[in-house]
Formats: sequence, structure tokens, C-alpha cells
Amino acid sequence: MSTRRDFFKLASIAGGALAASTVSKVALAALPDAVTQTSPDTMPPLQPKTGRPYNPVVTLNGWTLPWRMNNGVKEFHLVAEPVVREMAPGMKAHLWGYNGQSPGPTIEVVEGDRVRIFVTNRLPEHTSVHWHGQRLPNGMDGVSGLTQPSIQPGKTFVYEFVARRPGTFMYHPHADEMTQMAMGMMGSWVTHPKNKHPQIDDVDRDFIFLLSSYDIEPGAFKPNIMTMTDFNLWTWNSRVFPGIDTLNVRKNDRVRIRVGNLTMTNHPIHIHGHEFTVTGTDGGPVPRTARWPEVTTDIAVGQMRQVEFVADEEGDWSFHCHKSHHTMNAMGHNVPSMIGVDHKEVADKINKLIPAYMTMGDKGMADMGTMEMPLPDNTLPMMTGEGPFGGLEMGGMFSVVKVRKDQKPGDYKDPGWFRHPKGTVAFEYAGPVADAPRQPAQPVDAHAGMKHGTHSAPEVEVQVRKPQAHSRH
Amino acid sequence: MSHIHYRYLLPALLALTGCASFDIDQSTQKLNQQYPAYTQGKLALASKPEQQKNMQDQAASLLAQPLSQDAAVQLALLNSPALQAMLAQHQAAGASAAQSARITNPLFTFERNRQSGELELGRLLSFGLLDLLSLPQRQTMAQHSLAQAQTQLSLDVIASVSQVRVAWVKAVAAQQSLEYARQVGDAADASAILAERMHKAGNFNSLQAARQLAFKADAMAQLSFARHASLATREELVRLLGLNDEQEKTLKLPERLPDLPATPLAAESMGPQATKNRLDIQLAKQELDAAAARQGLSLVSSFTDIELGIRRDTNFDAAGHGEIKRGVEVSLRLPLFDWGDAQRTAMNANTLGASYRLQATLNNAGSHLRVSYSAYRNMYDIARQYRDEILPLRKRISAENQLRYNGMFISVFELLADSREQINSVLAAINAEQQFWLADAALQAELLGRPSASNLNPVKSTATAEAAH
Ligand SMILES: [Cu+2]
Repeated sequence: MSTRRDFFKLASIAGGALAASTVSKVALAALPDAVTQTSPDTMPPLQPKTGRPYNPVVTLNGWTLPWRMNNGVKEFHLVAEPVVREMAPGMKAHLWGYNGQSPGPTIEVVEGDRVRIFVTNRLPEHTSVHWHGQRLPNGMDGVSGLTQPSIQPGKTFVYEFVARRPGTFMYHPHADEMTQMAMGMMGSWVTHPKNKHPQIDDVDRDFIFLLSSYDIEPGAFKPNIMTMTDFNLWTWNSRVFPGIDTLNVRKNDRVRIRVGNLTMTNHPIHIHGHEFTVTGTDGGPVPRTARWPEVTTDIAVGQMRQVEFVADEEGDWSFHCHKSHHTMNAMGHNVPSMIGVDHKEVADKINKLIPAYMTMGDKGMADMGTMEMPLPDNTLPMMTGEGPFGGLEMGGMFSVVKVRKDQKPGDYKDPGWFRHPKGTVAFEYAGPVADAPRQPAQPVDAHAGMKHGTHSAPEVEVQVRKPQAHSRH
Repeated sequence: MSHIHYRYLLPALLALTGCASFDIDQSTQKLNQQYPAYTQGKLALASKPEQQKNMQDQAASLLAQPLSQDAAVQLALLNSPALQAMLAQHQAAGASAAQSARITNPLFTFERNRQSGELELGRLLSFGLLDLLSLPQRQTMAQHSLAQAQTQLSLDVIASVSQVRVAWVKAVAAQQSLEYARQVGDAADASAILAERMHKAGNFNSLQAARQLAFKADAMAQLSFARHASLATREELVRLLGLNDEQEKTLKLPERLPDLPATPLAAESMGPQATKNRLDIQLAKQELDAAAARQGLSLVSSFTDIELGIRRDTNFDAAGHGEIKRGVEVSLRLPLFDWGDAQRTAMNANTLGASYRLQATLNNAGSHLRVSYSAYRNMYDIARQYRDEILPLRKRISAENQLRYNGMFISVFELLADSREQINSVLAAINAEQQFWLADAALQAELLGRPSASNLNPVKSTATAEAAH
């Protein structure tokens, strides 16, 4: 998580001081500076110094693109280029993105702004940018071949339109889309309301991130763009747990989280300890009468959801996709389960041939989280992470919403683990354990109502072996 | 003819005949000097008990340690009855060749006639004059025969030693392969045990379990085959070493084949110079020389046959008064019916044939050498490829698979399958090394003109698809 210092550093980006530009300034003299971000950390909100005022968002493990005002037009400069994205400490992916990172920087404008975006293509192939969800002239929609010629490598195109309606949007290529999205090309777009909007509340904290997925072979560093469904890295803003920053808020803050889905499957995004309502989609704000409370909202492919809640419960609250495979990092999808297969003495035999072999998985997969064994280069453990009470055994789309009384307004710093009030943590029971009451067994005619003819397969004998530990009591 | 001092004739003849003889010990010593790489100075025919005892002692000390290839050669030379039998055979052949250079023993005829009181005693000592006249030529021919016999001995010794070398390479490689086949079996066995438990625990269906069991069954079959191959190749070596049952029990082979030489023999060293000393060419030359010499001899012998006799007759008259008659006698076979032309034609044809055979031998020598060198050089490259690239790569694959197992990207079954594959590569590498050493033995024998009969097998490729999904 970033600090105040980062904030001041970033604030100066608007003037281009941090710019490590990859584009020659002479060649692009007429263009706004192409500002590049080298850090994958969450940058503090970029307060608008020019143009109409608004309450800025915070991009999870990302940043907001500075702009310049030119005769009343807000000018941005996106550079499509190959980038190296740290997906979590210890793993760097070679992706394509914008201005040094994947996803690209968030673009923030205000309803009614005339926006001019210069897009320079530094990719080895042509590209285009589609402004997902925007009302705009057809020729600005960014579908190469249909509404414009594609932007060839080395070329710069200009998009210009008025941000007509407030809401949460995305941008992504619409040229060789499968490749370019699989390579990480995407970014968020927020249009803030110009005036007080009846359906849009003011919030204290406003987070945004995009869901994307990658298939990077353990030990490799580039996604396989041919993968259709069997992705192995489920990311928020091209980061995976433990690389995703926590969402740090002050108790009783009204919090908005905007999530866009650019993967190829749906993601039920779930929060602990609070209920939220979906206050908006990429279609705009949801009428108040149509909102209902939830703790999980499913975000379908190509959709955006904007959820809001009051963070009135202190603590460290899990926040994750509820598809449990999506809270894992790269893992073997064809590995058989070893549960219940004791093989200690076979292990000795195997060790003679493969000295580094260790038994795993015979009791479940939690071993994985605790054993620290060498992995292929540039990959992450399937499940990992240490919390204050032990291993978290997580990966992928997982983070924590940290609600704290003493978090200062505007401070996004990680406050550390929650200090629980006395007597509010689950604890081990030390008393006697009686046998649980059981339903008496009743004979059931399994075949009633179903005639199987003469083919009566023998019943498979299923034995359930229960952990024996508590039989000592 | 009465002036001939026949008194001196006999000793002179006897002196002439002593020249040609054959000594097997000299022959073996010569071979020991000429081909130290083959005989290691140990070639000898043991004809006396103490000699045999000495050789048996040396054999026992060789058997006390794992038997290197050189030690195997020494052991065969010291211990193999078959090899001793071969040397004895050569001694017999050599002696026969020496025999041909000797003069037929003179014929002594004695007559006793009585006629009306007169007694006549006739003594005739006759020599085949042609035998005598042709003696220098026959001696030359005997030298040829002896030289041929010596060359043949060289060839046979080299062939025997090559056989021992080949058998040693095969036996060591088979023993080494057996060790690895056991490891493949262990890996397959572990998979099978695990698979059965997985099946029992409900994680594997019958098909998945059966697949692992099939790997095991297959590995066990391979293991049996390797076990037999190891025994059969060892026994072949045992036979060539001439070991008895007791000795066989003490025979220990080294655990692995020798390292590859740092550099292979250069192709340039295989030039025409290399064929100069070839024994097959020498033998063909010697045959030609012998044929030519035989042809010279046939000029005389085909023409006629002459015998010389020295006569001393004594006549006693009735009074017992003796009178001595002395003289020489020459008998000559008249070439009325056989002028020897057929014989000469045959001789000519033999010489001509021998000269063509020499030419053919020269041609073939170059060709065989090229093939042998190609086998040697390519087997060297393959074996080195296995040692320097394939095995290190397999190791790396295994290391990477271990990491992938650690990360739960692959299962223990894939890890075991990979280990089986890696071991199979080691087996292929051993096979490649074996092929090299066989090619080396063949080339060494080829350079001396004794093409080895050992065939090279293609090295089977094990670059199979990775087991991991
Ligand atoms: Cu998900």
C-alpha cells in the first residue's frame, strides 16, 4: 500500500515530473506527456487540479492517468506497449498494457467533459481502443475495421468525444482482441457526475479494479493467449493474492467499489461482515427502488458492478471471488486427489528414486500452504499467505477490507492486522464432548418406483474414515 | 662318376636339411611384441605342468578383483583351454610346414644274389635328386608357409581377443542395464501400489488404476528380459574366458563401462597408411608369394623326376674271393605321357588367382575400414550426445518436474512416470556407450585386418513426450 509520500510524488505526476517517457518528446511535441508508472502499488487518489472538480477514485494496485487542459479539452495520452507486471512478489509477467502497467491507468473525467485521448501504438501489431459503455460518435467507438482503420505500430491516433453520462466504464482494444486482452490490455474509466445526482451518493472511499485472467505456465512469463477457459491466474488489476493490496477504510465510511469483468467467466464477488447494494452497472446508476441488499454479486463477462456499503464493522474482512478455484494461484488441474491414501512406506520407495519427493495431499491440500518447497522459477504457490492466526491458504482473487476506527480520512495506508476486543475471537473448547444425537437408521427401498430390470449393479461400498483424534475424550 | 666323393655327400646333405623348423614359443613371443594391445605379453602355450600352474595362479589373482577389459583379455590368454588348444593347433600346423622343407630320407637298398657258388651283395643308397635340386626352392616355400602360419596365428589370436573384448562390453553393459531396469521396476511398483490405494480410497476409477498396474506389468517383463540378458552375456564371457564352475562363481564385473575417450581417433589416421599393416593384406601377399614360388618349383618338378643312387656291389666268387664294384645310378622318369603342362597351367592359374585375391583384399580393406570408422565415429558422437546433452537435459526435466510436483502442478504419478522415462534414457545412454565400445573393438580389429563379427544395434530413442499434461 502506498504512503503519503507516494501521494505527493504522484501528485506531481500531473506536471510530468515522474515521467519516464518511452516516447520521444521531440516527436510528440504536440502531444501531452506520456506518463509511465513503474510501480504496481496502489497509488493515492489523483486530486483534480484543473478542470471540473470531482471526488477521485483509488485504483487497486493501480493509478490514475494525469491529463492536461487544452482550450477546455481534457487531453490524455495512452501508450499501448509491452510491460512487465509484477503479479505478486516473486512473479513477473511479460504482458501488454498501457503506460508501463497492465491494466493501464484509470481515466477519470467529469460528466460533460470534452475528452481528447491520444493513443500511441508501441506494440508489434496494430491495435485500437474501444471505450466500453460510452455514448459517443460511432467513429470514436474504436472497433478496428468497422469504425476506424487500426492503429499501426508506431502510429498515434486521436479519439475525441464528450463524456456524456456518469458511471463506471472500461477501455480495451478492439483489434486482435483475443490476443490483446489475454495479454493484459485494459483499463478503467470513471465519469463522475457534474452536479449532485439523485441516484449517485457521495462516498468517502471509491475503489476500482478490473477482473482479468491469464494462463501462464509455471516457470514461464508470458500468458498463453490460446487458452479459452483453463486459466491459472485469476487477477484483480493483473495482481493475485498475496499481491493484491488491502482496501483500507475508516469505520463508518461510505465505501464504493467498482468492479469490471474482462475475463471469460463470471465472478461472484463476495464481502464478509457487511451487506452492500449494487448501485450501478455500466448502464448507469441503479434506481434506488431497484436496489436490494446482498453480500455477493455476480459479475458476468463484460459487465461492471458498482457496490456500496457503510463500513460500520471494525475488523479484517475477507473480500474475494466466491468461486473457490479463483482464490487459488497456478495449480495442476489434472492432478488426482490423494485424500485418504496413506503412503508413507511407498514414499520411502519413491525417495530412493526421487530423493526430493515428499508426500502431499493425503490429508487434503492444506500441506501446500505450510510446506515451503522450491517451485519452478517465476510462479507462485497455489495457496499461500500468513495471517495473524496462521496460514491463509489463498491465492488469486482475494483481498481484505480493513475497517478501522482510527484510519484518518484520505489515508489509504495499511493499518496492519486487526486487534480484536477481548472475548471476540473464536476459541478452543476445553469441556467434555458428548456423542451427538443421531437419527435412527431406517430401511429405505432404494429401488422403489424404479424398475432396474435384471441389471442390478452391486452397491459400491463407501467407507467414511473419520479423523480419530477426538475419540480420546 | 667314380670320382665323386660320395663319402662327403651324405654329411653335406644332412647339413642342408636342418634349416626349417617351427617354434610356437618364438611365435607367441613375436605376437606379444607385435600386438601388445592384444596379447598384453601374456600369449603363451602352456605345455609343462609348472607353466600351467603358474598361469592358473595368475588367473586366480585376476579373478580376485572386478575384471577390467584388459584383465579379461589377460585372463582369457592365461586361462582359456580353447585358446591353448588353438595355439597347440598352430604348433602342429607350423611343424607340418617346417616338414615340407626337409629332404626325403635316403633310400638304402640291399641285394643278396647267389649264382653257382658266386655271391653277389648289392648296396644302393639312393636319393631323390629332384628333392635335392629343389631343396632351396622348397626351403623358400617352407619359409612362406611358416610366415603364413604366423600371420594366421596373429589373425586367430586377434579374433579371439576381440571376441573377449566384445563379450566383456556386452556383459558389463547388460549388468549395468539390469540395475536400471530394477529402478524402472521400483518406480512402476510404487505407482502400482499407490494406484491400488487410490482405487480403494475412491480417488481412482478402475481404468486409472489399471493403467498404473499395466506400467508395472510392463516394467516387470522388461526386468525379466534384462535379467536374462545379463546372465546370457555374462555366460558368453565365462565361456570365452574358459572359466570352470568354481572360477565362474568368483567372477566380478565392474559396475559400469569405461568412460568415453576424451577425443575419438581422427579420420586422418584411417588413411592408406593404416591398411599397410593389415594382416589380411599380408596374408594375401604371402599367398601370392607362395604361389609364385610354387610355380618356380613346378617348372622342374612338373617336368620330370630324377633319382640319384650310389651303388657299392660286392661279388664273391666260389672261392670266396671278393671283388667290389662301385658306381652311381641315375634314374629318370621319361616325360612321354605327361609333359607337366597341366600342372604348370594350374600353378599359373593359382598365382594369377592369388594376385587377384590380393587386389580384392586391398580394395575390401579400404571399404571395410571406412565402414568400421564410420561406426566408431558415429557411435562416439551418439554416446557423447547422450552423456553431454540428453542425460543432463533429462536431469533438468526431472528437476523441473520435481518443482512442478512441489507446486501441485503435477501428481506423484507423473513424477514417477518421469522418473521411469529418465531411467529409460539412462538405459539408452548405456546402450549408446556399449555400441561405442563394440565399434571400438571392431575398429581395432579392423585396423589389423580382422573384421569383427559384432553387429551394431541402433540406439533406441527415448525422447518421448513429457508425461505432464
Ligand atoms: Cu471468480
